Amino acid sequence: MKSNKELQIAYGLAIILLVVGVLSYSAFSAKTPDQPVRLMFKCVAGKILFDHKTHTVESGYSISCSDCHHNLEEGETDPEACGECHEPVSQDEDVLGRADAFHTQCIGCHKEAEAGPEKCELCHVM
Amino acid sequence: MVDNNRFIVSHAPFWHDGSRISTRNYNIAFAAFPAILLGIIYYGMPAVGVISLSISSAIIWEFIFCRVTKRSLTIGDGNAAIIGMILGMLLPATAPWWLVIIGTFVAVIIGKQVYGGIGANPFNPVVVAMAILMISWKDIFDFNEALISYDLDFAMVYPLAALKYFGVSAVDSFSMGDLLMGKQSGGIGSTFGLGLIAGGIYLIIRGIIRWEIALSFLAGIFITALIFNMADSAQYAGPVVHLFAGYTLIGAFFLATEDSSSPVNFIPMLIYGAGTGFLAVLIRNIGVYVDGVIFAILIMNLVNPLLDKIKPKAIGKVA
Repeated sequence: MKSNKELQIAYGLAIILLVVGVLSYSAFSAKTPDQPVRLMFKCVAGKILFDHKTHTVESGYSISCSDCHHNLEEGETDPEACGECHEPVSQDEDVLGRADAFHTQCIGCHKEAEAGPEKCELCHVM
Repeated sequence: MVDNNRFIVSHAPFWHDGSRISTRNYNIAFAAFPAILLGIIYYGMPAVGVISLSISSAIIWEFIFCRVTKRSLTIGDGNAAIIGMILGMLLPATAPWWLVIIGTFVAVIIGKQVYGGIGANPFNPVVVAMAILMISWKDIFDFNEALISYDLDFAMVYPLAALKYFGVSAVDSFSMGDLLMGKQSGGIGSTFGLGLIAGGIYLIIRGIIRWEIALSFLAGIFITALIFNMADSAQYAGPVVHLFAGYTLIGAFFLATEDSSSPVNFIPMLIYGAGTGFLAVLIRNIGVYVDGVIFAILIMNLVNPLLDKIKPKAIGKVA
């Protein structure tokens, strides 16, 4: 193979793949699904990977939306994310801070179902 | 007895046998294709975007560098494209465009061209780029977080992260078959074990990579992981997870074997490969990083010139 043919291949590859790459990034960028599959909660005690789908689907724990998203009105299908109200440091006495809200919700429910995890490091990546 | 016939060389003119660097690189691209294809099947168009942008930007960086420094254009040899391709294989499908472009810049310019181009780089350019990217933007390389919106038909947990943070029991659910068939989260082209092994064997048969390095690397991983596992099987996973998860297989066949950053003689190749495997498991098991393959290769690249000092004695004597 002659070197000018190699150059042509390289030019062709660079141009075609640049177009494909730019198109893929602009037109097919990874979209966040309407209902989250998994969520990564970040805090000072290490990240927590929460499998949202396992909690909601019938083959999983089959929990209804309103069990956790407690402010959901009857018939409403678009719950707010927890962090919308539960801020890291709560400004409102009636609203739990983020850590307290998650701990109450997660630990409460898992204890009720007598299911693990029981130790911090089984949820928090430390 | 020295076979004297082996040293008889005919006189000029010589005839070039037609082999070219580009042919080697086309073969590497061919060998990597199955692993990339499975990544694209799993992760869709975002994966196509990362791989395409990575290859094209690597070629463009080399083009710009050659033009700026007024050197002859080397993009035709395909090495820049291969650097871009392998870097793309290591990235998660959700890698942002700027990360890809910075990565190929570091790999092609800082990893290769500043040393004088192909064959002159002391470190594997892709490994240099990955080490810098992984340290600079570690959240992007947290595959659990990066691939959070993907719902595929297998446990979408990065095995090595699960192992590091939640112990051996967390990786019990990963069977060897699943890991080999790419049913694990990870980089676009680094999870399909069977595809990477097939590609590696193809490259070994074609004489493009050295089996000594690939095999001793895998042996190093296997033996070190086995020793850890035998010492404390509750804390350290067995060799199967270490062999088939993370960057092990792409490291064995596509990273550690890079020409100019690995040794050429038999014994040094074995030491280099085994040392890399040993360090990789050491970093995984007792280091702070989830995967140690990238840093292990980087460290052994550093040792490579020393290893190459172990060489056969020159034939002949001073009269």
